[in-house]
Amino acid sequence: MSAGGRDGLGDLFAIAARELRTVVRTPAVVALSVVFALTVVAVAAAGSGARGGYVPLVLDLVPFVEALVPLLAVALCYRAVLSDRESGELDVLRTFDVSRPAYVGGVYLGRGLALVFVVFGSLLAAGATVPVLSPPDPTFLALNEAADSPVAFLRFSVLAVLFALAVAAVALAVSAAARTARQAIALAVGLLVAFVVGVDAAAVAGLASGSLGIDAVPLVLAASPNGAFRSLVLGVAVETGGSTSPGAALAGLVGWVAVALAVAVLTAWRPVE
Amino acid sequence: MADRESAEPATDEPTTMSNPEPTTTAETDSDESTGESAAAAAADRPAIAATDLSHAFGDVRVLDGVSLSVAPGEIVALVGPNGSGKSTLLRFLARVRAPDEGTVTIGASDGRARVGYLPQQPGFRAGFSATDTLEFYAQFVDDHVDVADVLERVGLADAADRRVDALSGGMTRLLGLGRALVGDPAVVVLDEPASGLDPGMVERLFDIVSDLADAGVAVVLSSHNLGPVERTADRVVVLDGGRFVADGDPRAVVESVGAADLQTAFGDLVATEEVTGR
Repeated sequence: MSAGGRDGLGDLFAIAARELRTVVRTPAVVALSVVFALTVVAVAAAGSGARGGYVPLVLDLVPFVEALVPLLAVALCYRAVLSDRESGELDVLRTFDVSRPAYVGGVYLGRGLALVFVVFGSLLAAGATVPVLSPPDPTFLALNEAADSPVAFLRFSVLAVLFALAVAAVALAVSAAARTARQAIALAVGLLVAFVVGVDAAAVAGLASGSLGIDAVPLVLAASPNGAFRSLVLGVAVETGGSTSPGAALAGLVGWVAVALAVAVLTAWRPVE
Repeated sequence: MADRESAEPATDEPTTMSNPEPTTTAETDSDESTGESAAAAAADRPAIAATDLSHAFGDVRVLDGVSLSVAPGEIVALVGPNGSGKSTLLRFLARVRAPDEGTVTIGASDGRARVGYLPQQPGFRAGFSATDTLEFYAQFVDDHVDVADVLERVGLADAADRRVDALSGGMTRLLGLGRALVGDPAVVVLDEPASGLDPGMVERLFDIVSDLADAGVAVVLSSHNLGPVERTADRVVVLDGGRFVADGDPRAVVESVGAADLQTAFGDLVATEEVTGR
């Protein structure tokens, strides 16, 4: 680091601002974001969930969010570092004494903000259909307001954001570790398949073969962002009363973020000194 | 190359000289002055000094105990055949890659430790204008940067609002030069800055390089434009087979092999058959 270099936080914000501007100017990413938003709102409007209330809507949306959020996160991040490496900008940034944590943190912050905006905004739009589509409460029934409330949907939306950020961190690690576009695509697709179906399939196979006890299933599911997200939704957002603590699932998501960002920092470039 | 390597001591002493009368050595910080700019080098610490750099890509040894020091205000031109290791050496000088062996030290007596670097193929993030791009990099230096002035210096004032992906190859290179100059670094490393430029722009580029040197900036550049190099550089270093085969004032290098100009001398100095397979 040069004596005259700016502080790392300033560098991080400068990188983040450029990433945000880049995302907004990338037509493919904007189109994918619009498709995501339309899909989520369409599921709410066309399915029975929104007519039944917030919790039924959450249950309707979970499989779509589990499949589409990783797709969106990976599309946003899987080439972020790689494209700077291919253009030579990574080398030039190093001559400005930008540190690896500031660079990776900036890319993650900028792209993460865009992701949060799209995911949270889309889900809020879907949630807004509930009061419009739900039939008026029948007057002859005594309803427990706590069983179905916007708070449950809000918790679900926040968990979806956490899930998105975890997958984005993994995609960022892919973009930092990959040396070619082909490597990046192969790694990204492999991870997507592993997250969306791989860990669930492994849990089922473990149960079927007897090598996994039923008590171990929540821990295995917590090992993948998808499984952890689903556990948290069922345990925290809609409170199904499961006996398992959400701690393992939350630790799983946070662990993915921490490990993936560490991998991204270590593989972005090799320090000269 | 193996014969040459085995015949040469692997030290930072004067590099391999295929000509019988070495013009000077790669070490200018301690030996007697030989060129016009060497006086300044003797009076001041080097702006950048590379010592005993060695590097191999797999079985191919691209640099073999190369040392080079450049004084403030000195223009050193690195010439050599394609594949001779020029870009690799420049990356080490810019400190974006580490050699297998050896060290690179920046003088930075005035605190300007950044090395401005123009890669051989400068790239920029698409969708941003030339001004946006330089403003982005200006955020990483302490001093205020007049981006319009930088664009003016490199001849891109009229293209300030043009998107970088709409710039020609030559203009892209000039923008890369502008980016290297952001923050007024004390050392500038330029990898083939004249490549893709028309003759007028080549002259303009070497004028810019001269102005930088006049302002005390140490410039190391690689180029195949040997005419302007001969006119502008204080020193020419010829890299071939991983070693310096000549190093000195351009006129002295030319005279050392009895050539008429640097172009002819280059042909006499390099063993091109050694690099064709690289």
